[in-house]
Formats: sequence, structure tokens, C-alpha cells
Amino acid sequence: MKLELGNFYVKDIEFGAKTAFNDGILTINKEEALEVVFKDKHIIEADLRIVKPGDMVRLVPVKEAIEPRFRVGGGPVFPGVTGKLMQAGEGETRCLKDMSVLVVGKHWGGFQDGLIDMGGEGAKYTYFSSLKNVVLVADTDEEFEQREQQKKNHALRWAGMRLAEYLGEAVKDLEPEDKDTYELEPLTKRSKEISELPNVAIVMQPQSQMEEKGYNDLNYGWDTNRMLPTLMNPNEILDGAMISGSFMPCSSKWSTYDFQNFPLIRRLYEEHGKTINFVGVIMSNLNVALEQKERSALFVAQMAKSLGVDAAIVTEEGYGNPDADYIGCLVALEDAGVKTVGVSNEATGRDGGSQPLVTLDPKADALVSTGNVSELIELPPMDEVIGELESLARDGLSGGWEDDEILGSSVKEDGSIIMENNAMFCGDQIAGWSPKTMKEF
Amino acid sequence: MKKAVVYLNQFFGQIGGEDVADHAPEIREEKVGAAMLYDQLLDAEVTHTVICGDNFMGSRTEEAVDTILGFLKDVDFDIFFAGPAFQAGRYGMACGEIGKAVKEEFDVPVISSMNIENPGVEVFKKDIYIFPGGHSAAKMRDDVKKMTDFGNKILNGEKLLPAEEEGYYKRGIRHQYFLEDKTPAYERAIDMLLKKINGEEFESELPIPELDRVEIAPAIEDLSEVTIALVTSGGIVPVDNPDKIQSASATRWGKYDISGMDKLENRDSGMFKTIHAGYDPAAADADPNVVVPVDAMRKYEEEGKIGKLHDYFYSTVGTGTTQKEAARMGKEIAQELQEANVQAVILTST
Repeated sequence: MKLELGNFYVKDIEFGAKTAFNDGILTINKEEALEVVFKDKHIIEADLRIVKPGDMVRLVPVKEAIEPRFRVGGGPVFPGVTGKLMQAGEGETRCLKDMSVLVVGKHWGGFQDGLIDMGGEGAKYTYFSSLKNVVLVADTDEEFEQREQQKKNHALRWAGMRLAEYLGEAVKDLEPEDKDTYELEPLTKRSKEISELPNVAIVMQPQSQMEEKGYNDLNYGWDTNRMLPTLMNPNEILDGAMISGSFMPCSSKWSTYDFQNFPLIRRLYEEHGKTINFVGVIMSNLNVALEQKERSALFVAQMAKSLGVDAAIVTEEGYGNPDADYIGCLVALEDAGVKTVGVSNEATGRDGGSQPLVTLDPKADALVSTGNVSELIELPPMDEVIGELESLARDGLSGGWEDDEILGSSVKEDGSIIMENNAMFCGDQIAGWSPKTMKEF
Repeated sequence: MKKAVVYLNQFFGQIGGEDVADHAPEIREEKVGAAMLYDQLLDAEVTHTVICGDNFMGSRTEEAVDTILGFLKDVDFDIFFAGPAFQAGRYGMACGEIGKAVKEEFDVPVISSMNIENPGVEVFKKDIYIFPGGHSAAKMRDDVKKMTDFGNKILNGEKLLPAEEEGYYKRGIRHQYFLEDKTPAYERAIDMLLKKINGEEFESELPIPELDRVEIAPAIEDLSEVTIALVTSGGIVPVDNPDKIQSASATRWGKYDISGMDKLENRDSGMFKTIHAGYDPAAADADPNVVVPVDAMRKYEEEGKIGKLHDYFYSTVGTGTTQKEAARMGKEIAQELQEANVQAVILTST
């Protein structure tokens, strides 16, 4: 399977008469772009904004991030989600790099939503402050969940994907500046040299904890709660087969942008044929019932054994209950003779004194830590807020609160905030970007 | 200028040797013995020296600690040093005992130094900063230098580095840390993986700590005389959440009167709902008994299978709640239950 990702490096974004990409400048016809957003009648209010690294702007509640793309030869960027089902991971897809579409609630936030500071000291806590972003800030008529802490955010998330596809069309007839080519030969048809290298897989555990549909990550549009672990070609992940869901404290999440760019996968590709034979992705999940966790671990270990996997990276989109799946999977693989490395964040509490993961096992002896969900973060007011700052305190964002005996509200009158890292948008960068680790103090 | 207090035993406080090891605690508004060395090296003035015999602290710990905390009540100080205790076990334990108490009472930084063999290290390294020290007083100057260098960093408000860089014994306190070279997690993961594959040494970023496991209590043979309480981490509360229990990362719990109730009435009836943000609330809002099974317990009560359902159920939220907070809340609830003569608990999660 061969995938070519054609790169168009976006140096600047501006509004103008015609949506086009020219010399590194992405120009957006705002009216036309908003028409795409308003195609869903549930969107009742929407605006587009442009924010860049260093802007003293705070975004909250942020619901999703997506890289704008165009599928050469036609077809949806997200098969089974924004259009018909088709094979992802083959052919050419064009990507607007160094930017994302961010989806922000005009008013209402929820447990799963996060915050981004584009400038100032808060910028270091998220990856997305390093990108140029087209911000869709919108409201919907989904009143049934307006006051619910758990939100599906369906209208907003899908509007974000439509907008990303619309912007991607700007490069439909252009030649990319360069291309990243991803190709894995069929497993049984690899050269002797490559076959003799250690066989390495990555086990991904995307968020699938909700029994009700509409919250979990989707795999070609299919709810990951209702799947068993399966073998996937890494190209599929990099090419829109997976989209992010709307559940889990935000710093632990993988956004759709994270799936599209998954740095751990890209890094394994770099080693393929040199130090390892990259077998592929074992896509698992994070269901809540114990039997479901055990069944998933069983399937993962079986697949690893059947494929002759020698070593694997395991990574989970979440913490708390999913730690049982994460450690369970690492242990199942180690028991099957597979050498494992885990990548996840920790929850050691505001004072750092708590057990880092819900469950631990000495067999998980090689772990990379990407942050502490409950680290307390205080940030000064910003010049501008896009969205609604009060949502951090009012709407049950996982890292915000309305009232605390000692700390007061998360949102202060002067616009400064105090929050847990939990609500930093995809802040622990578990997909692999995280420059953070955990240290003893 | 900032102010410091130093704690020494009878020997380093120049009272005498083993024969005066039961010397009662005293405080002097001067620099005694090793306190002078601290004064030279610190960006602060040592205003007081506390001296106590090691045996006194060892055998009459509570009295010694209370007396010393009493001395310090009216003393204005920014930092507290104890020792160094070298390999002297009793002295190490004494430094730990008083250091921990001072930290808790006055919330000032407390710094000590002990040799790795000193039992005080294992017992108190979580409570105070303890630096690795020499075997004997020959290392006095080196050990005090390490303590005061670190103390000066704190006093001057400098950025504190992780334990392994500052040099004190690890305390089991883990915080996130931005790597200076910003090496992303994917590089660290691949590097660790290749090392593990090749049988080279690697360092896990999360060494697995010893697990704190609680023994399962023996079964109760006959429940017919027993009062049983329901305790949940499933976030069931009266609809107005009177105790403002947080929906995630909870630090609060509540107890709610269920005497006279056949079951928990639901959210639509204006009675009970869940505020837990970590699971789909639909089923629990429609019927809170699926999380706190008052209905089933009442049936058992009627049948005489159990003696009595306790008049209150206890509730908090488990999602994102740290193990430390959970342990504290658990202890507080357990104490109430014991006082109410509850003999068994059914703990429901989600």
C-alpha cells in the first residue's frame, strides 16, 4: 500500500475574495467558507477567525483540530464519515501543513473540551499554539446537550471536517512543494533483509469508553466501542481512516489532526528497513467493562503472536479507567514474549503524590511519560478570548471548576485563569509530540 | 534578611555524648555548634538552635515534638534544617520526626542530610528533603554545604530542578517537566524501544513503584445481625448536589439520608442523579439504584438476610480522582462508619 502525502507549507493565512493557495499564502473567501459550515441546519451562528503563533489570544472551549486536505482523484478526506466509504491510505492526498482548523464553541463547553493560548506562557502547553489556525467559532441548536457535561459536539465537529475539506480544495490543482511517501510491502512479500530485522508493531488504543453512540473515536465511521482489535495499515491512520471523538479529559485526547499526523507512526516509518521491520498498526480500543478489556488484550496478543511481532509500542488515548487496558495490553504482550514500550500520561495529582496510573505492573518496565493531567496551571489574562472564557468554570471542563474552597473559580474577574492541565487541548500530546516528561521532585 | 532555625542532637549541640542522650528539648537564641557553619553558608541568618537528646526524641517522641513546636510558635523563620545525621540511626529518625512535624505545622521548607544506610531515609524521605550524606562527622562540611546550597536556591526563589539533579533522595512526588532539549515523546519512545530490542540499558520514565495493596477482609458468615452501608464512587447525589462534589478529580464526599426510603427516586422526580463525568449518566439518572442499590438492600432487609441498611449512603466521584485524595476520603468515611457501628460496606463503582 503506497500513500503520498503532498505538502503545501502554509506561511500565512488571510481572508480575501477567492479561496486559493498562492506562494505559501492561504486566502479564504469567508462567506463561501461559512456557507460550507452552514450546510448543517443545526449550526445557528458561526464565524471564522485566524490566529497565529504569538497572538495573545485564548481559545476555549476548543472541541477539535483538523488538518485541511484534498484527496487526489476524488473522495472524502474522511471515508465513511464525511462521504462514502473507500480505502484510505492509498494514492495521493494533499495537505496544508503548519496549520489546522480549530473548532471552538461560541458559548458552550463540556468535559472533553479544552483551552489553547496562542501566545504568552500558556502557549507551551499545547501543540496547536505552534500552528497557524483557522478558527471556526460557532453555536448550534443542539439544546439537548447544551447544559450536559458530556457533549457529542456533532454539528460542530462535522462542520470542522467540512471546512477542512473545503480549504483542502484550494490545492486541488497545484503541485505540492514536496511529498512524504509511505509504503509498506505486503507482510509476506518483504525482502530477506527487511524480514530479518526485528518486527515492530504499534498498538493504538483510541478512546471508546462511551456505550452510547456519538462520543467515541470512529474507524471509517464505525464506533470503536463496537470493534475488536484489528490489523491496520499505518497509511490508513495517516490518511483519514480515524477521527477523534468527544469524550475524555482534553489533555489526554488525540484530535483528528493528531491521527492525521501521528508522529509515533511517522517515526516508526523512518526506522523501517533500517533498524526495524514495521509490521503495522494493531488498532485496539478502551472499552469499560472488564471482559471487554480482557478480550481486547487477548486479541492484541494473539495478533502479535500470529504476526511474529518482536517488539511493540503501546499508546492509550486517555487515563484513569483506560490505564487498565494500557497496562493489561503491555502485560499481555510481554507475556507473549513481545518487548514493549508504553507511551501515555500520568495522573499524580496536584501535589504529585498519587499513584501515577490506576494500575501498574512490573512487566511494564519501559514507559514514556508525557505529562501530569492534574498539574495546576495559572495563566494571566489574554488580550482576547475566542469562544467563552466562562465555559472553563461553568461547563464542567475536566480541568476547570466553578468553585473551590481555596482556589476559588477557575476563571477570575480580570480574565486570568487557574486550571488543571486536564483541560489543555490535547496538551499531553500522547500521539508523540510531547516535550514533557515526568520527574521526581 | 531571611531567617533559619537549625535542629541538632545533644552531641552536635555540644551538650555531651551518649550519657546525656535523654537531654530534654531546648531552644537557644544563638548559633550553637554546627549552626555556625549553616550561618556562614546560608543566604539567611540562623537565629535559633534547637537541641534535643536522641533518646528523648526516640522514646518520648510526642512530648519532644510538641515541646519543640511550642518553642517555635513565636519564632519567625523561613527555613528549617535538621542534622546532618550521617549514619546515626536515632539522630536520623529524630531529624525526620521533627522535620516532618515542622513542615506540617509551619509549612516551611525542611532540609536534612543522612547517609543512605540511615533508617531515617526510608521513613521520612517523602516528608522532607533529605540529601545523601557521609558516614560520619568527617563529612560535616560537605553535607551542610549540599543542604545550604539547596536551601539558598529555595530562599532566593530560584527554579528547583528534579530530585536527581538537585541531589536529594527521591520522594515519590512526580510532576510534569518540560525537557530542556525538548526531545519529543516519539523520539524517546523509539530510542527506548531500540535499546530494549538490542538488549541495551534503558531508563523507564515511570519506574513502577511498590504497590499499596489492601488485604481483602475475611467474609462475614452471618449477615442477619449486621448493619451494612452503601458507599459509592459513582457520583449519586441529591439533584442539587448540596456538597458541591466535583464531577471529576473529586476532593469532596457527601452523606445522604435514606432512612425510610424504599429506593432512590430518580432525577426526573427531583431526588437523586449522578454528577460523575466519567460514564454515560443516562441509566443512573433514570434509576440511581443501579449505582446505589437501595432497592435491593431493602428487600434483603425485609427478608432478614441482612440486619439493617445504614441510614446514610456515602458518595463521591471516582473519575480522575487521585489515589491520594481517594485514600483520604476513604479514611474519613471509614471513620464515620466505624463510629456509627457499621460492620460491612458495599462499595459500588460505575
